[in-house]
Amino acid sequence: MLNTLISGLQIVLTPSTFVLIFAGTVVGVIFGALPGVSASMAVALALPFAYKMNGVIAIAFLCSVYCASITGGGITAILFKIPGTPSSAPTTFDGYPMAQRGEAGKALGYSLVASAIGGLIAAFAMAIVSGPLAAVALKFGPGELFAVAMLGLSVLTCLDNGNVIKTLVSGLLGLFLATIGMDPQTGVARFTWGSTTLLSGVEMIPVMIGLFAVTEVLKQTVKRAKGKGNDMESTSGGKFKTAIPNMKEFFAVKWVMLRSSVLGTVVGILPGAGATIASFLSYTVEKKVSKYPEKFGTGIADGIVASECANNAATGGAMVPLLALGIPGGNAAAIMMSALVLKGVQVGPLLVKSQPDYLSSVFGSMLITNIIMVFVALAIAKVFAKILAIPYSILGPVIIMLATIGSFALKNSTGDVVLMVASGIIGYLFVSLGYSSAALVLGLVLGVMCEENLRRAYQIANGSWAGALNSPITIVLLLVCAAMILFPIIKGALPDKKAKS
Amino acid sequence: MLTLDLIFNVVLLAGAIYCFFFIGSVDNATSTELGAAFWPRLILGIMIVLLAVGLVNTIRKKNGKGPVTGEAIAGFFRSKLLVGIIICAAAALILPQIGFIPTCFLFLIAYGILLGEKRPVVLLITGVVATLVLYIIFQGPLSIFLPRGNGFFRNFALFMENILGMIPGL
Repeated sequence: MLNTLISGLQIVLTPSTFVLIFAGTVVGVIFGALPGVSASMAVALALPFAYKMNGVIAIAFLCSVYCASITGGGITAILFKIPGTPSSAPTTFDGYPMAQRGEAGKALGYSLVASAIGGLIAAFAMAIVSGPLAAVALKFGPGELFAVAMLGLSVLTCLDNGNVIKTLVSGLLGLFLATIGMDPQTGVARFTWGSTTLLSGVEMIPVMIGLFAVTEVLKQTVKRAKGKGNDMESTSGGKFKTAIPNMKEFFAVKWVMLRSSVLGTVVGILPGAGATIASFLSYTVEKKVSKYPEKFGTGIADGIVASECANNAATGGAMVPLLALGIPGGNAAAIMMSALVLKGVQVGPLLVKSQPDYLSSVFGSMLITNIIMVFVALAIAKVFAKILAIPYSILGPVIIMLATIGSFALKNSTGDVVLMVASGIIGYLFVSLGYSSAALVLGLVLGVMCEENLRRAYQIANGSWAGALNSPITIVLLLVCAAMILFPIIKGALPDKKAKS
Repeated sequence: MLTLDLIFNVVLLAGAIYCFFFIGSVDNATSTELGAAFWPRLILGIMIVLLAVGLVNTIRKKNGKGPVTGEAIAGFFRSKLLVGIIICAAAALILPQIGFIPTCFLFLIAYGILLGEKRPVVLLITGVVATLVLYIIFQGPLSIFLPRGNGFFRNFALFMENILGMIPGL
């Protein structure tokens, strides 16, 4: 732990790396605060800047963008009642009423300090948990690794309250896309139909950039055509005091901070869950355990703290399965994982042991980002009305051009740009019909891991299914998978007692 | 009623069934090794079952999203969504032909108009400034070689690269 801390600080406090992390924090806060730019999109748009960086520095930079963008989302949620990122939506419940009462500065102060505390607690939790988890995972054979990957996919269906079948189909489609190209074990071409371009498989990064950037701009295009664009309504004419709460006020919400940080970290660790689920869940929990639940939604600090602490804590949590198991905890982590794969890094349990610099770098970056982002966000908040005045007619096209560069620069191939646009268009159709792009991305990312490990387990067991999946851990994990997949289906099939009553 | 949901479901189902049988031709399994077709067939098999269930549900509940009526189809062809899709697709297709700078400039103007910007001066200034900023950042310090295009456009890109090379620090 101490070694990770020292090594992490050594990496991120190198002048050039610190400048990059600072730049990442500024970019992240701005991106996160801009409505229509989610944290995943912010990380996707930051990718081309990271292509030329060393892997360790690239992950630190992307982490700073990720953490800062989640925080940035809270600024617009408080000042304009527009959550910059979906995970900041619960912040509007109390942040905006507080700002309307003329306490915008205090609301921002609570939001930023809570974000920093949540992020820092999660960073320490990540540093503590990742090592032992990876050590346990190192003892896993291919059967166990297959079960872990399947667990990552099945959690999604359990968390999705919408159409379970569509979520499962989305995940399966992602798994299917991952099979396109040359079979890694036998070298046989699959679903290439003679195309040499498809032999190398479907590139993950253009697909992700398309799904997160192009789809979002298309969605905004339709929204604006229907006249549902974001009307920025500042509560204080763009001028407010950004006062940090005093110690007394800070101590009054200490338990809220602690509970929300722990909850956010745990939710973040679950693959497929993430900052949005964490913030909503934390807000609901705090409302339930509060002595004054009726005050929630009227503009109290507890509501802001619960939401912002949890969504930032989820960022640290999301990095745990990525670093310890090679399974992304969410969309942004999936993009970071692709960036690492692109750099030739073998993501998986061995990463923490063989290349501990990656864990140190993420840890160091999270510590520094969560501290400097308070000051960066305070400084930016004062000019926020001006930044938000950038019309979407400029921002939207620039986002697509950044996405184009990000896709092209991957292999200097315009084919990847076509793939990105196609993914964006299909993604729009996908999302508007209620399918889950998060499940598709997770399936695409975990596909190779699932297949390789299952086949290896079968081969080691000399062609026996019983031998391949007979370890207690595999059986338990697969049973949990089955329960997670079947639970929402059974729940949906049971008669709704509430509706009847 | 024919819904977009239903059509999408049928298309996915048809594709999955086709791929399921198509991949069977590359099966190279042995007694101790799973072949290249096993995993895709497993995925496609489950997908086919789920899509069939989804299809039945959609037909039975008659609640699929987006009813495909004549009016809806006509509306789509007049929509900004279609224009947006066409602009994005066109940009991706002309990028290798005319290179990054002209594509970026034209795209920013075209999509800006689509998103409601009506002031030509703003469009022009935004187009030029944003194109140059993106070009200088990525082609310069980040050393990402952006597409040059062919013929005249290639010469133009080389000319721009020469200018960029003359700027100290880039």
